[in-house]
Amino acid sequence: MKYETVIGLEVHVELATESKIFCACSAKFGAEQNDHVCPACCGMPGMLPILNKRVVDLGMTAGMMLNCDINRETTFDKKSYYYPDLPCSYQTTQWFAPICVNGAVEIETSKGKKQIRIKQIHMEEDAGKLVHDDWTDTSLVDFNRTSVPLIEIVSQPDISSAEEAIAYLERIRTLLRFARVSDCRWEQGSMRCDVNLSIRPQGSQELGVRTEMKNMNSLSAIARAIDYEISRHIDAVENRAEELVQETRRWDDVKGKSYAMRNKETAGDYRYFPDPNIMPVIIDDEWYDRIKKSLPELPEVKKQRYIEELGLSEYDADQIVQSRAFCDVFEKAYEESRMAKETANWLMSDCMTILNKRQQTTDMLAINGKALGELVKLVAEDKVSRASGKKILAAMFDEDISPLKYAEENGLIMSNDTEGIEKIVREVIEADPKSVSDYKSGKEKALMALFGKCMKQLKGNCSPQVLKEILVDHINRQ
Amino acid sequence: MHMDAMKLKKLEKLNQLRLEENEREDILAFFKKAEEDMGIFDSVSTEDVKRMVHVMPMINVIREDVSSQPFTRDQLQAGAPEASDGYWQVPRLVE
Repeated sequence: MKYETVIGLEVHVELATESKIFCACSAKFGAEQNDHVCPACCGMPGMLPILNKRVVDLGMTAGMMLNCDINRETTFDKKSYYYPDLPCSYQTTQWFAPICVNGAVEIETSKGKKQIRIKQIHMEEDAGKLVHDDWTDTSLVDFNRTSVPLIEIVSQPDISSAEEAIAYLERIRTLLRFARVSDCRWEQGSMRCDVNLSIRPQGSQELGVRTEMKNMNSLSAIARAIDYEISRHIDAVENRAEELVQETRRWDDVKGKSYAMRNKETAGDYRYFPDPNIMPVIIDDEWYDRIKKSLPELPEVKKQRYIEELGLSEYDADQIVQSRAFCDVFEKAYEESRMAKETANWLMSDCMTILNKRQQTTDMLAINGKALGELVKLVAEDKVSRASGKKILAAMFDEDISPLKYAEENGLIMSNDTEGIEKIVREVIEADPKSVSDYKSGKEKALMALFGKCMKQLKGNCSPQVLKEILVDHINRQ
Repeated sequence: MHMDAMKLKKLEKLNQLRLEENEREDILAFFKKAEEDMGIFDSVSTEDVKRMVHVMPMINVIREDVSSQPFTRDQLQAGAPEASDGYWQVPRLVE
């Protein structure tokens, strides 16, 4: 019998805010344990939550990027959850009126294009972290991550393979990073995914027994886990290898196997009820329009514009639109330089080299775009050599400098002093008659040797074109 | 939702509680009475009544996204029954 797979994904994304969702503690990743904690987020009695406005902004932004309807009246609810990493014994989330509903994204796989519907996006708080201490047989609790703002993006069960799941996750990640909703870093846990999966005979409308794998945090692990679960479900149905039950499972990526964790809770088990401490959020037209206007141009639209209006190749345009920071710097730099190809080259080659050396991602590019445009012009107009340009660019990564001023202060402006260049050329020729005669007898390499000696004495601050012309002219005169 | 012995057992498990048989009987009797009392509300027509969650007519109680650190870890853990190396220390919970 042939089977089809039915997959729904729940994607958790940490929002790019300064502070937590219901208190003013920092939401930054990587602090010492319990350094970002206050009485509210560690669940002390009597503390009341106050909603962070930026969380609603980013929730709406995510919804608009994923083609959702925005609930203009949205409310928060309590989800009963007894575990020490959420000290209130409930998670504040949205159940009755989530901020976004009815969205969709288009994905492209080897089988073509497909729409994946999004059921809803809701805002909620993250849980803390537990470290189990075998020595004392206790659990150690770190509340830094407790109440860090999240959105959960719940898809409809429209996904039918690992390939589609990966395409969907990559598309969501690109859109949310582009809109600066989140940095979506799998390795830091700012993007995580729960996979709900079942199989059914091809063509059947009835859903099979569903299992859920929680907190998956890498694309390759998700793909492997989906393929494993499909095989396990088919094996269970066809060969009765085991009884399939609705449950939550844990994926062990090292062993390449999933393990039962617990029976899957149903919505009733969580006993959702409205949170009386958080007042309803009403999104008026002004608020809605402000967020709508702040949305970025989509990466594929930018790419097309770069190709059609600026004349970039498809490859160059594709490389730049991989990162919103690259696009921002490129557009500001182009505005100054008006040279699209040269500007793109500086970004993709020289800026990338510096970012790699610093072990930074493209999203961390923070140089002044206008200054990069000035630099591109200085080099293109032969005022600064390419080598000196690289030095100036490196300085631009450290501080916001004027490339021209920096070049002047550091003696990097190319010499227009023809007499000075001619004097050095004469000296080099006189000191190396063999290279001169070799060149005259047809050895091109000899000219490069002389050229190199001249450039060394000029400390690189001379147009290669001008130097070559003067050098050849002086040799021919001999 | 009707509370019965099965549901109560499930709630015990979810809440990591261990009840004695006589406590279970008391709780089930309490729920039976509560369900009967709540049943009175079923006779009231609420079709056109909007769900009321908040008594105060307040909306948009929100704050700007600014972070601060008014308390230190040591201050917060001063009253903790157990703390170790900057962590709160609690009885181990393993599923």
